[in-house]
This record gives sequence, C-alpha cells and structure tokens, in this order.
Amino acid sequence: MLDLAGIGEQRLHLAWVSSAEAQRFVEVVTQTTDSVKALGKFDSKAFAFELAAAELTLAQETLRWMVGKEVKITAKGDVFGRRWDGDRFESILDVLLEREYQKNLILQAVKEGHTSVRDIHKKIGIDLKRISYLLADMENRNIVEFVGMEERKPIFAAL
Amino acid sequence: MEEFEPKIVAFLCNWCAYAGADLAGVSRLQYPPNIRTVRVMCSGRVDPLFVLQAFKQGCDGVLVAG
Repeated sequence: MLDLAGIGEQRLHLAWVSSAEAQRFVEVVTQTTDSVKALGKFDSKAFAFELAAAELTLAQETLRWMVGKEVKITAKGDVFGRRWDGDRFESILDVLLEREYQKNLILQAVKEGHTSVRDIHKKIGIDLKRISYLLADMENRNIVEFVGMEERKPIFAAL
Repeated sequence: MEEFEPKIVAFLCNWCAYAGADLAGVSRLQYPPNIRTVRVMCSGRVDPLFVLQAFKQGCDGVLVAG
C-alpha cells in the first residue's frame, strides 16, 4: 500500500524481538533509524491526497475480508473446495489493492472538484481508459453518479 | 546545519519487544532516541490503519516489533 501511495515500503519496518534479546532490540532500532534517516523527512502535507485515498482503501470491507479469509482459503479451501496456492492468493491481493486504491484516488479527485474524466486524469495521472473503466464500476456500486454533460464531457459526483 | 533526526513510531508487543526494550534499558544499553514507543498487547493488534495514521500525523518511519 505504501509503495502504491508513493510513500515507500522502506519507511515501515517489521521485526521479531523476544523479551530476552535486548541487544537485538538495540540493533533493530539502530537499523530502522539509520534506514529512515537516509530516506529523509516525510512530508505528510505533500502526500495528504494519497494518504486519504490509502486510508479509505484499507478501511473498506473488500480488502479486509480478503485478508481475513486468506488462511482458510489457502489451507482448507474456498466454498467450492478448491485450495489456493499462497503466492497466487497474494498476487490477487496485490491486483485488488491497486484497483481499490485507484478507485479511491478517483473518488478523492471527484470530491475535490475534478469532476470530468480529463480533470481526474490531470489530477491523478492514471490513464483515461482506466479511469472510465473504474468510474463505470463505481457507478454500478453507487459510489459515484453520472450528473450530466458539460461541453461534451461527462460529469460525475460522489454519492 | 542540524542533521535530520527522524521521528519513528514503534509499536511494541508487551510480552516480547517491549520487554526486550525494557531489558535494554535495565542493562544500560544505548539506542537511538528517535523512536516513540506505543505498547500493544500483541503485535497482531496493529491495524494497517495505525501505520497510515502515524504517517498522517507526521512521523517519518514506523517500526512494528513482536
């Protein structure tokens, strides 16, 4: 998620340190601090738009359900009895994450007043065809609505 | 010119990482003061949204230790 938002996964560190490993704790903290120092200051204002879209993406049910079901689907099987390979499941999660994140970027853009496909493209940079495709999906799910035409450009609004 | 000191939020699991940090303190081991610790009962409690919230509030890095 951090990579998609442009923040970078190197700003997040994960480590296992047991209660007896004091020296290891020191190493982990030193490593993390040095690594983040090298990356420089994080400007949260510059990334406010992406952070808002990322937050919406991680808060919504779709991804949380998928992650929650991962253990069952890769160990016991889905409702049809098919056991999924772990790597394949992860790659599908990646596809889903990118898609949902892009939809939330579009929603943010529409909320901020970029209401035509071209305006959205100018704001977020995703290509026009993809934006149209995702907007159609969002329309079906009643996340946005088609308001009308303005100078031959379709205009959308958030619901 | 002052060197950049990052602010790092560290989510530490009470039984493992936090205890490890405590032991480091008791043993007088030095570690960088840039980390701000948040004690959780289990590292599994850390929701991805916590990480995003930390970045929103202006931290430069996040550590999750379990």
